[in-house]
Amino acid sequence: MNFGTTQTRWICFLSILLLTGNVAKVTAESSLSPGDRSGNVWTVEQVVASLKEGREPSVSFEEATYSSLLTEPLIVRGLLRFTPPSTLEKEVLEPYRERYLIEGDRVTFESERKHVKKTISLEAYPALRSFVEAFRATLTGDVVQLKNVYETTVDGTSRQWTLLLRPYDPAGKSMVDYLLLSGSEGRLTTIAIRAPDGDRSVMTLRRGPSK
Amino acid sequence: MKAAWWPVLVWIALITGAVWFTGTRLSVHSELGDLLPEGTTATQRLLLTQVRSGLAGRMLLLAIEGAPPDELAGLSKTLGEGLRKQAQIDFVGNGMQVLSSEERQVLFRARYLLSQTVRAETFSADSLHASLEQRLDELRSPLAPMIKAYIPTDPTGEFLGILQSWAGWESPATHRGVWMSADLQRALLVVETKAAGFDVDAQEAIQRDIRASFHRVADGPSPSARLLMSGPGVFTVEIQRTIEREVWWLSVVAATLVFLFLYASYRSLTLVFLSLIPLSSGILAGMVAVNSWFGFVHGITLGFGITLLGVVDDYPIHLFSHLNKQASAPVIMRAMWPTMRLGVLTTAIGFSSLLLAGFPALAQLGLFALAGLGTAALVTRWVLPVCVPAGFVPREIRTDLLGTMAHLSKARAVVPVAVVLATIVMIWSDTPLWEEDLAKISPVSEEKKQLDQQLRRALGAPDMRDLLVVEAATQQDLLERSETVMPQLDRLQAVGILEGYDLVSRYLPSHRVQRERQQALPNSVDLKDRLGEAVKGLPFAPGLFEPFLDEVSVARRQPLIDRDLFRGTPLGLKIEALMLEDHGRWVAVAPLRGVVDRQGLKAAVAGWGASAVTYVDIKEESNRLMRDYRNRTVQLLGWGTIAIAGALAIGLKSISQLWRVLVPIIAGLIAVVGILNLSGESLSLFHVATLLLVVGLGLDYALFFNRVEDQGEERQRTVFGLLVCSTTTVLVFGVLACSTIPVLHAIGLTAACGSLTCLLFAGFLAGQDSHVS
Repeated sequence: MNFGTTQTRWICFLSILLLTGNVAKVTAESSLSPGDRSGNVWTVEQVVASLKEGREPSVSFEEATYSSLLTEPLIVRGLLRFTPPSTLEKEVLEPYRERYLIEGDRVTFESERKHVKKTISLEAYPALRSFVEAFRATLTGDVVQLKNVYETTVDGTSRQWTLLLRPYDPAGKSMVDYLLLSGSEGRLTTIAIRAPDGDRSVMTLRRGPSK
Repeated sequence: MKAAWWPVLVWIALITGAVWFTGTRLSVHSELGDLLPEGTTATQRLLLTQVRSGLAGRMLLLAIEGAPPDELAGLSKTLGEGLRKQAQIDFVGNGMQVLSSEERQVLFRARYLLSQTVRAETFSADSLHASLEQRLDELRSPLAPMIKAYIPTDPTGEFLGILQSWAGWESPATHRGVWMSADLQRALLVVETKAAGFDVDAQEAIQRDIRASFHRVADGPSPSARLLMSGPGVFTVEIQRTIEREVWWLSVVAATLVFLFLYASYRSLTLVFLSLIPLSSGILAGMVAVNSWFGFVHGITLGFGITLLGVVDDYPIHLFSHLNKQASAPVIMRAMWPTMRLGVLTTAIGFSSLLLAGFPALAQLGLFALAGLGTAALVTRWVLPVCVPAGFVPREIRTDLLGTMAHLSKARAVVPVAVVLATIVMIWSDTPLWEEDLAKISPVSEEKKQLDQQLRRALGAPDMRDLLVVEAATQQDLLERSETVMPQLDRLQAVGILEGYDLVSRYLPSHRVQRERQQALPNSVDLKDRLGEAVKGLPFAPGLFEPFLDEVSVARRQPLIDRDLFRGTPLGLKIEALMLEDHGRWVAVAPLRGVVDRQGLKAAVAGWGASAVTYVDIKEESNRLMRDYRNRTVQLLGWGTIAIAGALAIGLKSISQLWRVLVPIIAGLIAVVGILNLSGESLSLFHVATLLLVVGLGLDYALFFNRVEDQGEERQRTVFGLLVCSTTTVLVFGVLACSTIPVLHAIGLTAACGSLTCLLFAGFLAGQDSHVS
């Protein structure tokens, strides 16, 4: 049993992660990316630039959580939204309704079912904050910031790429082993997050109803 | 003549001794708490203990402003980290504080004793099923990684429930992890000091350290940021320093004026310096007496005591006014002594009232004034005349004044008119006669009070006004009683009578409740069965809840907890502040927040029918306390006046003389009260205490005005002396009346008006026969 604040940071980190990471949208087939479209090896700069280019205000997601506590994965579905410059929102629609909103430094959690509305501050969780900044960096094309926080490895081609992110920060490492983003051109298709204890979550993104 | 020198030698010896004593033994205190009375009722005693050393008194409220929100948050964080390392600080709250991992472990182990949701039905199959479904929801949520760790040992969520119930209690908004005002203009912090709020020196040191820490943190990166501080400790330091500063410059101004005036009156530096001898001897004697009796002299006693002793400056003035070529100073003194002696004796009776008022501050003052008065009188009688150079005569005094004074008695009708007018003013005036609100006497500026209110509201800190007090014989009785009070307070909160409260039972359940909770825990066989049923249809891994089964069966037999469990932790400090032992009884003090309807609250608490639960409005209670002491002082003033009249009757041996001496004083007192009321002043304890000084001064004037022995030039000299006396008094207290500190202003105004009125009235009513020749 591990006590302390690590878990608290962990959750918040993840909540942000799930919010921010995915807002890079699922691009339309026709969307152009500035990268090389011939199928050659991509760079981080190209991935980030094309993600920014292909960003959409709203995408739908399906997230599966695999845990050693469970015999089968837990599934939630909902919408992710990004409003420039820095407002991120994750809205869960199934199997219940919940909403997480990050505006600047504040994270607001709202659940009608539980009659809860809570606001926490990113600053209380320094590691988490670095993740949020990293994801904002991704969405706004700020590669320098991203590389400050993560060891980045790009694999594959522009048609089928993966971006592996491993945090440098010890606080970050205690929470997440790695993030694996995969996609095609400027379209992000999955985000897998693996925790040091082996539990993981996989989020699959689809072009959502444009609300 | 040689024999006359021995008192001087004795005096020199004594003064040397006294100087040595004050130099080595004198202990001057500045802690205001030392001057507070013990209180006459149990509630007052408790209240005063709280005021002296309670948590509310030790709490400092801090705000940082003047920079962008992000910078403010950074400053708050680094300042908080720095302050937490300081030894004189118990606790720093700025939103960053988290339970240490030891504390969390202690709480986790005690969760089945502490959690309010532990009941028999919590562990039924249905209820367990619902809990498990909730855990699944949490696993689906971004909260999963945190919840995950607790699920196998605490599937009913008791631990997080405890944390939530404590955290949900009134914390301000946060920005970047620290407390901020809603408009993000101020970062907010709370500091609990080890030292009591009234400990001026300790408080000043702590506040200086806090400011220094702030400047270390802020000066480089955010030069525009400012630190605001409030709270009882800040007020204490401010009051003390303001008084010291004002007393200093007021003394300088008053002393200069008196010095110049005395020099102008007698044109002799020698006399001016000689006039200091009785006063300084009196001050020394007062310090020695108070220090010997009380073990310390309070700084405030010293300041006010010297003021009260101003009356003894009249004694050398009388002597100097009568100096002439025909008689030596000792001879003149001997002739004046009976009148002066009666004046000293009756003034002493007046000052003794202070001694009996039962208010430590006034008792010290009374003793100081009595010892000083006696000493100064003796020095004037035996030492001073010998020191006056033989054949020394000051500049010829103004004899034409007598003519003016002679007209005074023609206007004697002014006295009854003034008394009637003053009475009418007192009856019909819009200004209440008595000051009932202690806050108006406070020298803390309105601006500072508003800042305090603002910070308190923003921080959700109790405003130190409303308390609920629960009493019991033992610790466990107290906790049980508090537990019955809690739901009742919740109801009052729901109705909107108050916004919130803090009570020890929120953190520490009684043994009875802990035992009930233990009994609600099922045995491991039952629990296993029910859990097996509950988990059906849910995707939890097999055997996942084995640790839960083990821990519940341990919890059924675990030792009960009490407040010792939390000793030395921030939570322990909180519990100690909310629950204390007072003279062998146990008392829970619950600060109430945002009380909207005090009458309703009072009625509601009375309606509970529990005599051991009391609602205390601190403001109301302290006003009552002050009122009690004031009434007692007024009574003593009355008795003192009667005693003075008795002493005068014996000393003067003449009813008509008694009449002439006493009537101007009583009429003077009434007129002074009328004048004060007319100028918008309501009487406080301090006005009343000063009226004693007025009685002393008035007696002196009236006695000398009515000296049967005075004829011709002697009378002129007496009148001149009285004018000098009264003018010096008016100068000293007139300066004091200019003070911005309400208490000093009250004393100054009362004494200055009193001196003038008593002199005039004594002149109006002086025996005509005695000055016709």
